[in-house]
Amino acid sequence: MNPIASFQGFGLGLRRPHYADFLDGGVAVDFVEVISENFMVEGGKPLRVLEQVRARHPVILHGVSLSVGSAHGLDQEYLARLRALADRIEPLWVSDHLCWTRTSAHNSHDLLPLPLTREALDVVCANIDRAQTALGRPMLFENPSSYLTFPEDEMPEWEFLTQMAQRTGCYLLLDVNNVYVSAHNHGFTARDYIAGLPLDRVWQIHLAGHEPGTIAVDTHDREVGEGVWELYAETLALTGPVATMIERDDRIPLLGELLRELDRARAIAAGADRTMAA
Amino acid sequence: MSGLAQRQDAFLGAILDDAAALPPGWDAERAPGLAIYRNNYRTALVEALRATFERTERLVGEAAFHRAAAHHCIMHPPSSWTLDRAGVGFPETCAELFARDPDVAELGALEWAMHEAFTARDTAPLTHTQFAETCAGFAEDAWDGLQPVLMPDIRCLPAHHDLVRLWSSLGTDDAEADLAALGSAHCAVVWRAGERPVFVLRPAWEGEALARFRAGASFGAVCAAMIDTLGEEAAVAEAGAMLARWVGEGWVERLGQ
Repeated sequence: MNPIASFQGFGLGLRRPHYADFLDGGVAVDFVEVISENFMVEGGKPLRVLEQVRARHPVILHGVSLSVGSAHGLDQEYLARLRALADRIEPLWVSDHLCWTRTSAHNSHDLLPLPLTREALDVVCANIDRAQTALGRPMLFENPSSYLTFPEDEMPEWEFLTQMAQRTGCYLLLDVNNVYVSAHNHGFTARDYIAGLPLDRVWQIHLAGHEPGTIAVDTHDREVGEGVWELYAETLALTGPVATMIERDDRIPLLGELLRELDRARAIAAGADRTMAA
Repeated sequence: MSGLAQRQDAFLGAILDDAAALPPGWDAERAPGLAIYRNNYRTALVEALRATFERTERLVGEAAFHRAAAHHCIMHPPSSWTLDRAGVGFPETCAELFARDPDVAELGALEWAMHEAFTARDTAPLTHTQFAETCAGFAEDAWDGLQPVLMPDIRCLPAHHDLVRLWSSLGTDDAEADLAALGSAHCAVVWRAGERPVFVLRPAWEGEALARFRAGASFGAVCAAMIDTLGEEAAVAEAGAMLARWVGEGWVERLGQ
Protein backbone atom coordinates (compact mmCIF):
# COMPACT_ATOMS: atom_id res chain seq x y z
CA MET A 1 0.00 0.00 0.00
CA ASN A 2 1.47 3.34 -1.04
CA PRO A 3 2.21 5.82 1.76
CA ILE A 4 0.23 9.06 1.85
CA ALA A 5 2.16 11.97 0.36
CA SER A 6 2.73 14.69 2.91
CA PHE A 7 0.67 17.83 2.37
CA GLN A 8 1.04 20.98 4.42
CA GLY A 9 -1.32 23.89 4.40
CA PHE A 10 -4.38 25.39 6.03
CA GLY A 11 -7.96 24.45 5.34
CA LEU A 12 -11.58 24.62 6.40
CA GLY A 13 -14.46 22.20 6.57
CA LEU A 14 -16.98 22.57 3.75
CA ARG A 15 -20.31 23.35 5.41
CA ARG A 16 -23.63 24.14 3.71
CA PRO A 17 -23.80 27.87 4.66
CA HIS A 18 -20.48 28.36 2.83
CA TYR A 19 -21.23 26.37 -0.34
CA ALA A 20 -21.81 29.53 -2.36
CA ASP A 21 -18.51 31.06 -1.16
CA PHE A 22 -16.56 28.00 -2.23
CA LEU A 23 -18.41 27.66 -5.53
CA ASP A 24 -17.71 31.31 -6.33
CA GLY A 25 -14.01 30.54 -5.86
CA GLY A 26 -11.27 32.66 -4.37
CA VAL A 27 -11.52 31.30 -0.80
CA ALA A 28 -7.99 31.47 0.63
CA VAL A 29 -7.54 27.88 1.76
CA ASP A 30 -5.04 25.21 0.75
CA PHE A 31 -7.53 22.37 1.12
CA VAL A 32 -11.14 21.66 1.99
CA GLU A 33 -12.29 18.87 4.31
CA VAL A 34 -15.75 17.36 3.87
CA ILE A 35 -17.79 14.96 5.98
CA SER A 36 -17.65 11.81 3.86
CA GLU A 37 -21.14 10.59 4.75
CA ASN A 38 -22.76 13.78 3.42
CA PHE A 39 -21.55 12.83 -0.04
CA MET A 40 -21.88 9.03 0.06
CA VAL A 41 -25.18 9.41 -1.78
CA GLU A 42 -26.45 8.03 -5.06
CA GLY A 43 -26.78 11.35 -6.88
CA GLY A 44 -28.15 14.87 -6.83
CA LYS A 45 -26.82 18.24 -5.81
CA PRO A 46 -24.36 17.25 -3.03
CA LEU A 47 -22.12 15.40 -5.46
CA ARG A 48 -22.31 18.25 -8.00
CA VAL A 49 -21.21 20.71 -5.31
CA LEU A 50 -18.35 18.49 -4.17
CA GLU A 51 -17.09 17.95 -7.72
CA GLN A 52 -17.10 21.70 -8.36
CA VAL A 53 -15.25 22.39 -5.10
CA ARG A 54 -12.80 19.58 -5.92
CA ALA A 55 -12.05 21.27 -9.24
CA ARG A 56 -10.73 24.26 -7.25
CA HIS A 57 -9.25 22.72 -4.09
CA PRO A 58 -7.63 19.54 -2.82
CA VAL A 59 -10.22 17.68 -0.74
CA ILE A 60 -9.95 15.51 2.37
CA LEU A 61 -12.68 12.96 3.15
CA HIS A 62 -13.36 12.91 6.89
CA GLY A 63 -15.80 10.26 8.09
CA VAL A 64 -17.82 9.82 11.25
CA SER A 65 -19.43 6.40 10.73
CA LEU A 66 -16.71 3.87 9.90
CA SER A 67 -16.96 2.65 13.52
CA VAL A 68 -13.48 1.22 13.52
CA GLY A 69 -13.79 0.27 17.17
CA SER A 70 -16.92 -1.79 16.69
CA ALA A 71 -16.66 -5.32 18.05
CA HIS A 72 -19.29 -6.25 15.45
CA GLY A 73 -16.94 -5.47 12.56
CA LEU A 74 -17.30 -3.05 9.65
CA ASP A 75 -20.31 -2.35 7.45
CA GLN A 76 -19.38 -3.63 3.99
CA GLU A 77 -21.94 -1.46 2.19
CA TYR A 78 -20.52 1.58 3.95
CA LEU A 79 -17.00 0.65 2.89
CA ALA A 80 -18.09 0.15 -0.72
CA ARG A 81 -19.71 3.57 -0.82
CA LEU A 82 -16.69 5.22 0.77
CA ARG A 83 -14.42 3.54 -1.77
CA ALA A 84 -16.63 4.76 -4.62
CA LEU A 85 -16.53 8.32 -3.28
CA ALA A 86 -12.77 8.22 -2.81
CA ASP A 87 -12.28 6.92 -6.35
CA ARG A 88 -14.52 9.69 -7.66
CA ILE A 89 -13.01 12.58 -5.69
CA GLU A 90 -9.36 11.49 -5.41
CA PRO A 91 -8.87 13.06 -1.99
CA LEU A 92 -5.58 13.94 -0.35
CA TRP A 93 -6.52 11.28 2.19
CA VAL A 94 -9.43 9.59 3.95
CA SER A 95 -9.83 9.89 7.71
CA ASP A 96 -12.15 8.80 10.50
CA HIS A 97 -12.06 8.54 14.29
CA LEU A 98 -10.77 6.14 16.92
CA CYS A 99 -14.22 5.36 18.23
CA TRP A 100 -17.26 3.18 17.69
CA THR A 101 -20.71 4.29 16.66
CA ARG A 102 -22.86 1.18 16.42
CA THR A 103 -23.68 -2.31 17.58
CA SER A 104 -25.12 -5.00 15.33
CA ALA A 105 -28.59 -3.50 15.86
CA HIS A 106 -28.40 0.25 16.25
CA ASN A 107 -26.34 3.32 15.43
CA SER A 108 -25.68 6.06 17.96
CA HIS A 109 -24.53 8.65 15.40
CA ASP A 110 -22.05 9.74 18.02
CA LEU A 111 -18.33 9.08 18.42
CA LEU A 112 -18.35 6.76 21.41
CA PRO A 113 -15.19 6.02 23.40
CA LEU A 114 -13.46 2.68 23.56
CA PRO A 115 -12.10 0.93 26.61
CA LEU A 116 -8.34 1.23 26.28
CA THR A 117 -7.66 -2.49 26.47
CA ARG A 118 -5.57 -4.96 24.49
CA GLU A 119 -8.80 -6.61 23.33
CA ALA A 120 -10.09 -3.30 21.93
CA LEU A 121 -6.71 -2.62 20.33
CA ASP A 122 -6.86 -5.99 18.53
CA VAL A 123 -10.39 -5.20 17.27
CA VAL A 124 -9.40 -1.72 16.11
CA CYS A 125 -6.27 -2.95 14.32
CA ALA A 126 -8.18 -5.73 12.54
CA ASN A 127 -10.87 -3.29 11.44
CA ILE A 128 -8.31 -0.73 10.24
CA ASP A 129 -6.57 -3.45 8.22
CA ARG A 130 -9.89 -4.35 6.59
CA ALA A 131 -10.79 -0.73 5.92
CA GLN A 132 -7.43 0.17 4.42
CA THR A 133 -7.50 -2.94 2.25
CA ALA A 134 -11.04 -2.17 1.07
CA LEU A 135 -10.10 1.42 0.24
CA GLY A 136 -6.74 0.48 -1.25
CA ARG A 137 -5.06 3.25 0.72
CA PRO A 138 -3.85 3.96 4.25
CA MET A 139 -6.11 6.13 6.39
CA LEU A 140 -5.78 8.74 9.12
CA PHE A 141 -7.49 8.24 12.47
CA GLU A 142 -8.40 11.03 14.84
CA ASN A 143 -8.00 10.93 18.61
CA PRO A 144 -11.46 11.32 20.18
CA SER A 145 -12.69 13.61 22.92
CA SER A 146 -14.38 11.66 25.69
CA TYR A 147 -16.52 12.20 28.74
CA LEU A 148 -15.86 9.02 30.64
CA THR A 149 -13.21 6.33 31.00
CA PHE A 150 -13.67 2.62 31.57
CA PRO A 151 -12.81 0.65 34.70
CA GLU A 152 -11.05 -1.94 32.54
CA ASP A 153 -8.64 0.54 30.86
CA GLU A 154 -5.14 -0.94 30.56
CA MET A 155 -3.15 1.84 28.91
CA PRO A 156 -3.29 5.59 28.26
CA GLU A 157 -4.87 6.73 25.02
CA TRP A 158 -1.59 7.92 23.51
CA GLU A 159 -0.11 4.45 23.95
CA PHE A 160 -3.20 2.92 22.33
CA LEU A 161 -2.81 5.29 19.36
CA THR A 162 0.92 4.58 19.12
CA GLN A 163 0.43 0.82 19.00
CA MET A 164 -2.47 1.24 16.56
CA ALA A 165 -0.30 3.25 14.16
CA GLN A 166 2.64 0.85 14.49
CA ARG A 167 0.54 -2.26 13.87
CA THR A 168 -1.59 -0.97 10.98
CA GLY A 169 0.58 1.62 9.23
CA CYS A 170 -2.22 4.17 9.58
CA TYR A 171 -1.53 7.85 10.12
CA LEU A 172 -2.86 10.15 12.83
CA LEU A 173 -5.16 13.11 12.67
CA LEU A 174 -4.33 14.97 15.87
CA ASP A 175 -7.29 16.96 17.17
CA VAL A 176 -5.63 19.36 19.58
CA ASN A 177 -8.97 20.46 21.00
CA ASN A 178 -9.88 16.84 21.75
CA VAL A 179 -6.62 16.37 23.64
CA TYR A 180 -7.35 19.55 25.59
CA VAL A 181 -10.94 18.46 26.39
CA SER A 182 -10.05 14.89 27.38
CA ALA A 183 -7.07 16.08 29.47
CA HIS A 184 -9.44 18.34 31.40
CA ASN A 185 -12.07 15.60 31.79
CA HIS A 186 -9.74 12.77 32.77
CA GLY A 187 -6.95 14.55 34.59
CA PHE A 188 -3.94 13.79 32.42
CA THR A 189 -1.51 16.36 31.05
CA ALA A 190 -2.12 17.39 27.46
CA ARG A 191 1.62 17.84 26.85
CA ASP A 192 2.32 14.29 28.05
CA TYR A 193 -0.35 13.00 25.68
CA ILE A 194 1.11 14.75 22.64
CA ALA A 195 4.70 13.94 23.54
CA GLY A 196 3.67 10.29 23.87
CA LEU A 197 2.37 10.05 20.29
CA PRO A 198 4.40 8.90 17.27
CA LEU A 199 4.57 12.46 15.96
CA ASP A 200 6.10 11.38 12.63
CA ARG A 201 2.71 9.79 11.86
CA VAL A 202 0.72 12.99 12.48
CA TRP A 203 -0.45 14.06 9.00
CA GLN A 204 -3.14 16.55 9.97
CA ILE A 205 -4.28 18.71 12.89
CA HIS A 206 -7.84 19.75 13.80
CA LEU A 207 -8.62 22.86 15.83
CA ALA A 208 -12.08 23.53 17.23
CA GLY A 209 -13.97 25.15 20.06
CA HIS A 210 -15.41 23.46 23.14
CA GLU A 211 -17.80 24.25 25.95
CA PRO A 212 -15.90 24.58 29.22
CA GLY A 213 -17.33 23.13 32.43
CA THR A 214 -16.83 20.48 35.07
CA ILE A 215 -16.93 18.17 32.07
CA ALA A 216 -15.69 20.03 28.99
CA VAL A 217 -17.73 19.18 25.86
CA ASP A 218 -16.36 19.10 22.31
CA THR A 219 -19.11 21.21 20.73
CA HIS A 220 -17.50 22.69 17.58
CA ASP A 221 -19.88 25.62 18.02
CA ARG A 222 -17.53 28.46 18.89
CA GLU A 223 -14.09 29.87 18.25
CA VAL A 224 -10.95 27.97 19.21
CA GLY A 225 -10.11 28.53 22.89
CA GLU A 226 -6.90 30.23 24.06
CA GLY A 227 -5.68 27.09 25.81
CA VAL A 228 -6.09 25.14 22.57
CA TRP A 229 -4.14 27.76 20.62
CA GLU A 230 -1.30 27.48 23.15
CA LEU A 231 -1.32 23.69 22.89
CA TYR A 232 -1.32 23.98 19.08
CA ALA A 233 1.81 26.14 19.19
CA GLU A 234 3.52 23.67 21.52
CA THR A 235 2.49 20.78 19.25
CA LEU A 236 3.91 22.40 16.13
CA ALA A 237 7.18 23.00 17.97
CA LEU A 238 7.41 19.20 18.23
CA THR A 239 5.99 18.13 14.87
CA GLY A 240 7.05 20.86 12.47
CA PRO A 241 4.57 21.95 9.79
CA VAL A 242 1.38 19.87 9.63
CA ALA A 243 -1.79 20.42 7.56
CA THR A 244 -4.17 22.27 9.87
CA MET A 245 -7.86 23.01 9.70
CA ILE A 246 -10.52 24.79 11.72
CA GLU A 247 -13.64 22.68 12.43
CA ARG A 248 -17.00 24.36 13.01
CA ASP A 249 -20.16 22.27 12.86
CA ASP A 250 -22.72 24.29 14.80
CA ARG A 251 -23.54 28.00 15.05
CA ILE A 252 -21.57 28.32 11.85
CA PRO A 253 -20.42 31.93 11.38
CA LEU A 254 -19.69 33.86 8.21
CA LEU A 255 -16.71 32.49 6.33
CA GLY A 256 -14.62 35.55 7.18
CA GLU A 257 -14.59 34.67 10.88
CA LEU A 258 -13.23 31.20 10.16
CA LEU A 259 -10.64 32.60 7.76
CA ARG A 260 -9.44 34.93 10.52
CA GLU A 261 -8.97 31.93 12.80
CA LEU A 262 -7.12 30.17 10.00
CA ASP A 263 -4.84 33.22 9.68
CA ARG A 264 -4.04 32.88 13.37
CA ALA A 265 -3.10 29.23 12.79
CA ARG A 266 -0.86 30.34 9.91
CA ALA A 267 0.85 32.93 12.12
CA ILE A 268 1.46 30.39 14.90
CA ALA A 269 2.84 27.90 12.38
CA ALA A 270 5.14 30.55 10.91
CA GLY A 271 6.40 31.33 14.42
CA ALA A 272 7.02 27.65 15.11
CA ASP A 273 8.94 27.40 11.81
CA ARG A 274 11.20 30.28 12.80
CA THR A 275 11.78 28.74 16.24
CA MET A 276 12.68 25.37 14.74
CA ALA A 277 14.97 26.96 12.16
CA ALA A 278 16.80 28.85 14.91
CA MET B 1 -20.01 -12.64 22.42
CA SER B 2 -16.68 -10.96 23.19
CA GLY B 3 -16.16 -8.79 26.25
CA LEU B 4 -15.93 -5.71 24.04
CA ALA B 5 -19.16 -6.57 22.24
CA GLN B 6 -20.93 -7.00 25.57
CA ARG B 7 -19.53 -3.69 26.78
CA GLN B 8 -20.67 -1.91 23.63
CA ASP B 9 -24.15 -3.43 23.74
CA ALA B 10 -24.53 -2.37 27.38
CA PHE B 11 -23.17 1.14 26.68
CA LEU B 12 -25.43 1.75 23.68
CA GLY B 13 -28.38 0.28 25.56
CA ALA B 14 -27.78 2.82 28.32
CA ILE B 15 -27.63 5.65 25.77
CA LEU B 16 -30.84 4.67 23.99
CA ASP B 17 -32.83 4.33 27.21
CA ASP B 18 -32.67 7.24 29.64
CA ALA B 19 -34.08 5.03 32.38
CA ALA B 20 -31.50 2.28 31.93
CA ALA B 21 -29.14 1.49 34.78
CA LEU B 22 -25.43 2.20 34.40
CA PRO B 23 -23.59 -0.59 32.53
CA PRO B 24 -22.09 -3.31 34.74
CA GLY B 25 -18.98 -2.23 36.63
CA TRP B 26 -19.62 1.51 36.28
CA ASP B 27 -19.73 3.64 39.39
CA ALA B 28 -21.80 6.79 39.82
CA GLU B 29 -18.86 8.98 38.78
CA ARG B 30 -19.49 7.91 35.19
CA ALA B 31 -23.13 9.01 35.20
CA PRO B 32 -22.45 12.66 34.19
CA GLY B 33 -20.37 11.48 31.22
CA LEU B 34 -23.08 9.04 30.18
CA ALA B 35 -25.61 11.87 30.38
CA ILE B 36 -23.59 13.82 27.80
CA TYR B 37 -23.62 10.87 25.40
CA ARG B 38 -27.37 10.44 25.93
CA ASN B 39 -27.93 14.11 25.18
CA ASN B 40 -25.68 13.99 22.09
CA TYR B 41 -27.60 11.01 20.74
CA ARG B 42 -31.04 12.52 21.29
CA THR B 43 -30.04 15.97 20.04
CA ALA B 44 -28.45 14.68 16.83
CA LEU B 45 -31.52 12.66 15.91
CA VAL B 46 -34.06 15.33 16.78
CA GLU B 47 -32.09 17.93 14.83
CA ALA B 48 -31.86 15.57 11.85
CA LEU B 49 -35.65 15.12 11.94
CA ARG B 50 -36.19 18.89 12.28
CA ALA B 51 -34.02 19.48 9.22
CA THR B 52 -35.89 16.90 7.14
CA PHE B 53 -39.43 17.67 8.33
CA GLU B 54 -39.30 21.44 8.74
CA ARG B 55 -42.80 22.04 7.33
CA THR B 56 -44.28 19.27 9.49
CA GLU B 57 -42.73 21.00 12.49
CA ARG B 58 -44.30 24.30 11.46
CA LEU B 59 -47.67 22.58 11.03
CA VAL B 60 -47.76 20.99 14.50
CA GLY B 61 -45.62 23.48 16.41
CA GLU B 62 -42.15 23.16 17.91
CA ALA B 63 -43.15 21.52 21.20
CA ALA B 64 -45.42 18.87 19.67
CA PHE B 65 -42.84 18.11 17.00
CA HIS B 66 -40.10 17.71 19.59
CA ARG B 67 -42.24 15.25 21.54
CA ALA B 68 -42.98 13.28 18.38
CA ALA B 69 -39.31 13.25 17.37
CA ALA B 70 -38.20 12.09 20.83
CA HIS B 71 -40.88 9.38 20.78
CA HIS B 72 -39.66 8.25 17.35
CA CYS B 73 -36.05 8.02 18.58
CA ILE B 74 -37.10 5.87 21.52
CA MET B 75 -39.42 3.58 19.56
CA HIS B 76 -37.28 3.34 16.41
CA PRO B 77 -33.57 3.72 17.20
CA PRO B 78 -31.63 4.25 13.96
CA SER B 79 -29.80 1.39 12.33
CA SER B 80 -28.36 3.07 9.24
CA TRP B 81 -24.83 4.50 9.12
CA THR B 82 -26.18 7.81 7.88
CA LEU B 83 -28.27 10.37 9.75
CA ASP B 84 -29.95 11.03 6.40
CA ARG B 85 -32.05 7.92 7.10
CA ALA B 86 -33.11 8.99 10.60
CA GLY B 87 -36.53 9.90 9.19
CA VAL B 88 -37.35 6.36 8.09
CA GLY B 89 -40.78 5.60 9.56
CA PHE B 90 -41.32 9.11 10.93
CA PRO B 91 -44.45 9.71 8.80
CA GLU B 92 -45.87 6.50 10.32
CA THR B 93 -44.97 7.81 13.78
CA CYS B 94 -46.87 11.01 12.90
CA ALA B 95 -49.86 8.94 11.76
CA GLU B 96 -49.87 7.23 15.15
CA LEU B 97 -49.34 10.33 17.29
CA PHE B 98 -51.52 12.74 15.29
CA ALA B 99 -54.25 10.24 14.43
CA ARG B 100 -56.96 12.93 14.49
CA ASP B 101 -55.03 15.12 12.07
CA PRO B 102 -54.19 12.91 9.07
CA ASP B 103 -52.79 15.96 7.24
CA VAL B 104 -49.72 15.75 9.54
CA ALA B 105 -48.71 12.28 8.36
CA GLU B 106 -49.57 13.22 4.78
CA LEU B 107 -47.27 16.22 4.90
CA GLY B 108 -44.60 14.19 6.69
CA ALA B 109 -44.69 11.53 3.98
CA LEU B 110 -44.36 14.23 1.34
CA GLU B 111 -41.34 15.79 3.07
CA TRP B 112 -39.70 12.37 3.38
CA ALA B 113 -40.27 11.65 -0.32
CA MET B 114 -38.80 15.05 -1.25
CA HIS B 115 -35.82 14.29 1.01
CA GLU B 116 -35.22 10.94 -0.69
CA ALA B 117 -35.59 12.42 -4.18
CA PHE B 118 -32.89 15.02 -3.38
CA THR B 119 -30.10 12.42 -3.48
CA ALA B 120 -31.67 9.78 -5.73
CA ARG B 121 -29.55 8.20 -8.46
CA ASP B 122 -28.68 10.51 -11.36
CA THR B 123 -30.34 9.39 -14.57
CA ALA B 124 -31.25 11.35 -17.68
CA PRO B 125 -34.98 11.19 -18.49
CA LEU B 126 -36.30 10.24 -21.90
CA THR B 127 -36.80 13.33 -24.08
CA HIS B 128 -39.82 14.03 -26.27
CA THR B 129 -37.59 13.52 -29.33
CA GLN B 130 -36.34 10.14 -28.10
CA PHE B 131 -39.90 9.16 -27.25
CA ALA B 132 -41.14 10.12 -30.70
CA GLU B 133 -38.25 8.34 -32.44
CA THR B 134 -38.83 5.17 -30.43
CA CYS B 135 -42.55 5.11 -31.08
CA ALA B 136 -42.44 6.18 -34.73
CA GLY B 137 -42.22 2.69 -36.11
CA PHE B 138 -44.64 1.05 -33.69
CA ALA B 139 -47.30 -1.20 -35.14
CA GLU B 140 -50.75 -0.79 -33.59
CA ASP B 141 -50.35 -3.85 -31.36
CA ALA B 142 -46.83 -2.88 -30.22
CA TRP B 143 -48.29 -0.23 -27.90
CA ASP B 144 -49.95 -2.88 -25.77
CA GLY B 145 -46.58 -4.39 -24.82
CA LEU B 146 -44.88 -1.07 -24.15
CA GLN B 147 -43.34 -0.82 -20.66
CA PRO B 148 -42.28 2.68 -19.63
CA VAL B 149 -39.44 2.46 -17.07
CA LEU B 150 -39.92 5.26 -14.56
CA MET B 151 -37.12 7.46 -13.23
CA PRO B 152 -35.63 6.10 -9.98
CA ASP B 153 -36.61 9.19 -7.97
CA ILE B 154 -40.35 9.08 -8.73
CA ARG B 155 -42.49 8.63 -5.60
CA CYS B 156 -46.28 8.53 -5.50
CA LEU B 157 -48.19 9.19 -2.26
CA PRO B 158 -51.91 9.20 -1.48
CA ALA B 159 -53.22 12.75 -0.94
CA HIS B 160 -56.46 13.79 0.72
CA HIS B 161 -55.47 17.42 1.32
CA ASP B 162 -54.34 20.18 -0.99
CA LEU B 163 -50.65 19.62 -0.40
CA VAL B 164 -49.66 22.26 -2.94
CA ARG B 165 -51.36 24.99 -0.89
CA LEU B 166 -50.22 23.50 2.40
CA TRP B 167 -46.60 23.20 1.25
CA SER B 168 -46.55 26.73 -0.07
CA SER B 169 -48.12 28.19 3.08
CA LEU B 170 -45.52 26.58 5.38
CA GLY B 171 -42.48 27.88 3.52
CA THR B 172 -41.37 30.30 6.23
CA ASP B 173 -41.03 30.18 10.01
CA ASP B 174 -43.88 32.61 10.69
CA ALA B 175 -46.25 30.83 8.29
CA GLU B 176 -49.86 29.89 8.95
CA ALA B 177 -51.00 26.56 7.53
CA ASP B 178 -53.43 26.79 4.61
CA LEU B 179 -55.19 23.46 5.07
CA ALA B 180 -57.98 22.27 2.78
CA ALA B 181 -59.33 18.80 2.07
CA LEU B 182 -59.53 17.66 -1.55
CA GLY B 183 -62.93 16.78 -2.98
CA SER B 184 -61.70 13.59 -4.58
CA ALA B 185 -58.89 11.11 -4.13
CA HIS B 186 -55.55 12.33 -5.43
CA CYS B 187 -51.91 11.41 -5.25
CA ALA B 188 -48.78 13.51 -4.85
CA VAL B 189 -46.12 12.61 -7.38
CA VAL B 190 -42.60 13.55 -6.22
CA TRP B 191 -39.53 13.65 -8.39
CA ARG B 192 -36.36 15.65 -8.93
CA ALA B 193 -36.31 18.26 -11.66
CA GLY B 194 -32.59 18.72 -12.23
CA GLU B 195 -31.24 19.20 -8.71
CA ARG B 196 -34.53 20.30 -7.10
CA PRO B 197 -37.15 17.94 -5.64
CA VAL B 198 -40.66 18.94 -6.77
CA PHE B 199 -44.17 17.49 -6.63
CA VAL B 200 -47.58 17.81 -8.26
CA LEU B 201 -51.03 16.57 -7.34
CA ARG B 202 -52.67 14.18 -9.77
CA PRO B 203 -55.92 12.21 -9.76
CA ALA B 204 -55.66 8.94 -7.88
CA TRP B 205 -56.08 6.88 -11.07
CA GLU B 206 -52.86 8.38 -12.42
CA GLY B 207 -51.04 7.32 -9.27
CA GLU B 208 -52.44 3.82 -9.74
CA ALA B 209 -51.07 3.81 -13.30
CA LEU B 210 -47.65 4.88 -12.01
CA ALA B 211 -47.73 2.09 -9.43
CA ARG B 212 -48.65 -0.47 -12.08
CA PHE B 213 -45.83 0.62 -14.38
CA ARG B 214 -43.45 0.54 -11.40
CA ALA B 215 -44.53 -3.06 -10.82
CA GLY B 216 -43.70 -3.94 -14.43
CA ALA B 217 -47.15 -3.74 -16.04
CA SER B 218 -47.43 -3.12 -19.78
CA PHE B 219 -49.16 -0.12 -21.33
CA GLY B 220 -51.95 -2.43 -22.44
CA ALA B 221 -52.51 -3.72 -18.91
CA VAL B 222 -52.52 -0.18 -17.53
CA CYS B 223 -55.02 0.92 -20.20
CA ALA B 224 -57.28 -1.99 -19.26
CA ALA B 225 -57.19 -0.92 -15.62
CA MET B 226 -57.92 2.68 -16.62
CA ILE B 227 -60.97 1.50 -18.59
CA ASP B 228 -62.22 -0.20 -15.43
CA THR B 229 -61.80 3.02 -13.48
CA LEU B 230 -62.67 5.76 -15.99
CA GLY B 231 -64.75 3.99 -18.61
CA GLU B 232 -63.55 3.27 -22.13
CA GLU B 233 -64.04 6.66 -23.73
CA ALA B 234 -62.26 8.62 -21.01
CA ALA B 235 -59.50 6.02 -20.66
CA VAL B 236 -58.74 6.09 -24.38
CA ALA B 237 -58.63 9.87 -24.31
CA GLU B 238 -56.41 10.01 -21.21
CA ALA B 239 -53.92 7.16 -21.68
CA GLY B 240 -51.87 8.56 -24.55
CA ALA B 241 -51.95 12.09 -23.16
CA MET B 242 -50.85 10.80 -19.77
CA LEU B 243 -47.80 9.06 -21.19
CA ALA B 244 -46.84 12.14 -23.22
CA ARG B 245 -47.26 14.31 -20.12
CA TRP B 246 -45.02 12.00 -18.08
CA VAL B 247 -42.32 12.22 -20.73
CA GLY B 248 -42.66 16.00 -20.64
CA GLU B 249 -42.32 16.04 -16.85
CA GLY B 250 -39.21 13.85 -17.04
CA TRP B 251 -40.74 10.87 -15.22
CA VAL B 252 -39.78 8.25 -17.83
CA GLU B 253 -36.23 6.94 -18.05
CA ARG B 254 -36.71 4.70 -21.08
CA LEU B 255 -39.21 2.58 -22.94
CA GLY B 256 -38.99 -1.16 -22.63
CA GLN B 257 -40.93 -3.92 -24.33
